[in-house]
Amino acid sequence: MSVLGRFRVADFCWVGAGSFATKILADAGADVIKIESRASLDGLRLAAPFAGGVRGVNRSGYFADRNSSKRSITINLKTAEGRELARRLVAVSDVVTNNFTPGVMERFGLGYETVREVNPQVIYLAMSMQGDDGPARNYLGYGITIGALTGFQHLTGAPGRVPIGTNTNYPDHIPNPAHAAFAVLAALRHRRRTGEGQYIDLAQTESTIAVLGPAMIEAALTDGADEPTRPGDAGGPMANAHRWRAPHGVYQCTGEDRWVAVSVHEDRQWAALREVLRLDPAALEPGWDTMAGRHRDRDRVDALIAAAARGWDARKMTAALLDAGVPCAPVQDAAEVVADPQLAWRGHWVRPPHVEMGASLYNMPPYRLSATPVTIRSAAPRLGEHTEEICRDVLGLADAEIERLQADGVLS
Amino acid sequence: MIDAPPPGPLAGLRVLDLSGPLGNYCGKLFADLGADVVLVEPPDGTPLRREPPFTGEGDCSESIPFLYMNTNKRSLCLDLDQPGDAATLHELAWRADLVIETERPGVQDRRGLGWATLSPGHPGLVLVSITPFGQDGPYAELDGDDLIASALGGLLYLGGYADGGPIRPAGEQAVLAAGLFGAVAAMLALTHAELTGQGQHVDVSMMEAVVVGLENAPQFYDLEAVVRHRNGGVQRLAGTGVFACADGLVCLLATGFGGTQHWTKLVDWLEAETGAELGRFRDSRWSRTEFLITEAAKAEFSEFFASFCATRAQRDLYHRAQSWRVPLCPVAAPRDVLSDEQLSFRRYFAEVTCADGSVLKMPGAPYRLSRTPWSLRRPAPRLGEHSSEVLAEIAPGGAS
Repeated sequence: MSVLGRFRVADFCWVGAGSFATKILADAGADVIKIESRASLDGLRLAAPFAGGVRGVNRSGYFADRNSSKRSITINLKTAEGRELARRLVAVSDVVTNNFTPGVMERFGLGYETVREVNPQVIYLAMSMQGDDGPARNYLGYGITIGALTGFQHLTGAPGRVPIGTNTNYPDHIPNPAHAAFAVLAALRHRRRTGEGQYIDLAQTESTIAVLGPAMIEAALTDGADEPTRPGDAGGPMANAHRWRAPHGVYQCTGEDRWVAVSVHEDRQWAALREVLRLDPAALEPGWDTMAGRHRDRDRVDALIAAAARGWDARKMTAALLDAGVPCAPVQDAAEVVADPQLAWRGHWVRPPHVEMGASLYNMPPYRLSATPVTIRSAAPRLGEHTEEICRDVLGLADAEIERLQADGVLS
Repeated sequence: MIDAPPPGPLAGLRVLDLSGPLGNYCGKLFADLGADVVLVEPPDGTPLRREPPFTGEGDCSESIPFLYMNTNKRSLCLDLDQPGDAATLHELAWRADLVIETERPGVQDRRGLGWATLSPGHPGLVLVSITPFGQDGPYAELDGDDLIASALGGLLYLGGYADGGPIRPAGEQAVLAAGLFGAVAAMLALTHAELTGQGQHVDVSMMEAVVVGLENAPQFYDLEAVVRHRNGGVQRLAGTGVFACADGLVCLLATGFGGTQHWTKLVDWLEAETGAELGRFRDSRWSRTEFLITEAAKAEFSEFFASFCATRAQRDLYHRAQSWRVPLCPVAAPRDVLSDEQLSFRRYFAEVTCADGSVLKMPGAPYRLSRTPWSLRRPAPRLGEHSSEVLAEIAPGGAS
C-alpha cells in the first residue's frame, strides 16, 4: 500500500527543482501526470548524460532520475483545445504544480483563480524563482544563479578567491524540492481537516536562504562586516574549516585525487590520530592537546596531517583511523558512491526497466518507511508515453476523439 | 490588540523533538507550520546550544544555530538515561503523533524508547529516526557528521576549485538535508497515519540525503562512464561563469541550458547596451557546445564580457540583464541578501525577540500558504522553559 495512492497531481513543472518536488510525491504513490509538449520540451530531456552516450528525448539520465514513477502526457497548450484538456485535467487533480515565472500559467488559462473555479479544493503549488510579487518577480534563473543570488555561492569557497558554491545546481536538488513537498503535504492535511484548498507561493530564493539561516543571522548582527581572511575565524567563506573544532578538513593521499576527510570531535580522537599517523612529536605543541589550542594553530595542525597523509593509501588510512576511533571517511567520487557498500545494503540504487534506456541508475528517496514503502514504481516516462491512457481513463475521451486530437496536433 | 496569526496547517499535531542537530530543522519545519513541538533536552541542554557562532560575548550569549533551528518549540528538560524520566517520555509519546530522534541505532531501544516499546498500545504513532547512515548496514554504527556524510555521499568531491582539493558546501548542508528529508518522510507517514490510523517507523539516512543531491554525477558514471570532477573557479563554457564587475561579481548562465534563447538575448542586450555591432557572436558556432567548451571561445567571449562588466555595477548589470531575459545574478554576500529589494518587498526576513530582549533578523517563511501561513509565534526556548507546563499536561487531571 502506498501513502499517496489516492492523490493525483497535474504536474506542469519542468527542469530542476519542480520536477524533483513532484518526484517525491510520485515515489510515495501519487499519480503524477507530467504535462509536456514537443514544441516546448523540458530542457532536462536534452541534458547529458544519455544512455549509451546517444542523445535523445527519452535517453537523459539527468531527466530520468528526476521523473521516476510519473506518467507523461503531451498537450499543446498553444491550442484552445489543448488548454481545454488541461483544464479538465486540473479539475480532477488534488494538486497542481508549476515552476514557471509568474503569469505563464495565467496565459494558458491555468492560473489559480481559474483552476479554483473548476476545483475549489485544489492545492496549487507555484515555485517561481523569486515569488509572485515584488520588483523581481519576473526574473529568471537556474539553480546555479539562485545559489549566487542567495549567498550560498559566496559562502562556499576559500577566502580571497572567487566563490564557487558546490559546482552543481544545489538549490534544485535538496532545499527547494524538499521544502516544496513538505508544504504540499501540509496543505493536504489542512484540506483533509477542513475541506479547504489553498495556494502555495514558494520563491526558490527564499526556500534556499532558509538553509543559510545562521549565516544570515550572523551577518545581520555584524552588519556583514565579519568576513574572515582566515577560514574558521568568523562567517563568510571558510573552505573546510570549522568554527571551533580542529583538525577538520581533507587531506590528500597517494594516487590521483584521493583524499580523506577527518573530523575530530574530542581530544582523545586527536591523541589517537597522532599515533596512527605517527606525527613527529617534536613538531607538536603541548597546547594542541586541547581543542582550543588546535583550533588556534589549525593551519600548522593541518599541514602536519597533510604531510603524513601523502604517504597513505586513502582506504588504508581511513580503516586505520576508524580502528582507532577517529571520525573520518574517504572523499568518494561518483564511481565510488555508486559502488558504496552501505548504499548497496540499503538498496539506495535501483534500476527500473526502460524501453529505450535499459536498466539505468536511479536514486531511491533517502528514507525508508516501515509500513508503506516508498519506491521507484517505474522508470521515467517517455515523452507522451501515457497520452492515450490518460485521455481515456482520466479524461474519459473516446478512442475516436483521441485519434482526432492527435491528428490535429493537440496532443503533441 | 494584534490579531493572532491564523493557525498553521499542522495545528493540533503533537511532536516530540528528542533530536540533536540532525533533527532540529525537521522539528522547526513542523513547529513553524503550527504543530506543538516539544524539544526534549538533556540536563545540559541540546547539543546545538553549544555550537558557535554566538549572539555575543558573556553569559547571556546564545548559539545562533540553536536559536534558528528551534523557533516555535517548547523546551522540556528530561534525562532519558534515568528510568523515571524515560517513563515520563513514554507517557508523553503515548499522546504524541510524531517523535523525532537522532540517536545512534540501538540507543533508544536500550532506554526502552525505541520503536518496539513505543508503538505497542499506540498504533498511530510515527517515529522518525534520522541518523548519519540509516538504521542498518555496514556503516550504521559509525560516527558521521556534516563533513563525513558529505565526503561519503560524493558532494564534497564535486566541490572545490579545479586546481585544488575538495571544499564542502557552506552551512552544514548534509545535516540540513537530513532534517529536510526527515520532515518530508515524517509528513508522508503522518498522512498515512491520519488516513488509516496506522503509524510506522521512518528511517532517514543523512548520507543518502546527500547522494540524492549529486545532480547528474552518478548517472554520468553509469551511462557514459564519466566521473565528474571539480570545476570551480573556471569558465565552464563561453557564456557561463563568474565575472568581475565594478563592485563585485556576477554569475552568468547564458549557455549550456535552455537551448540558444539565452545566448541570443545576451547578444541582443550587449548590442543595445554598447551600441557595438556584435554579429560575430551571432555565428551558429556559438550555439554548439563543442565550440563553447574551447579555450578560444571562452577567451573571445570573456575578453568582451569582462571589459563590459568591469565598468558597471553589480546591481545594474543584474537588473539590466534580467530586463532582457538574460539569466544573470549577482554573486551576493549575506549583507547583500539582507538588503535585497525583492526580499524586502516581500518582507522575507523575520524579526525575533529573544529571551534576553535582543532582536534577531532571520530567514522567514520558505513557502507562503495562502490560508494557513507560516508564522513565528515564539523564539527558541530557554532550557526547560516549559517543563512544568508540559508535565502538567500529562498529570492526572491535567489539560488534555
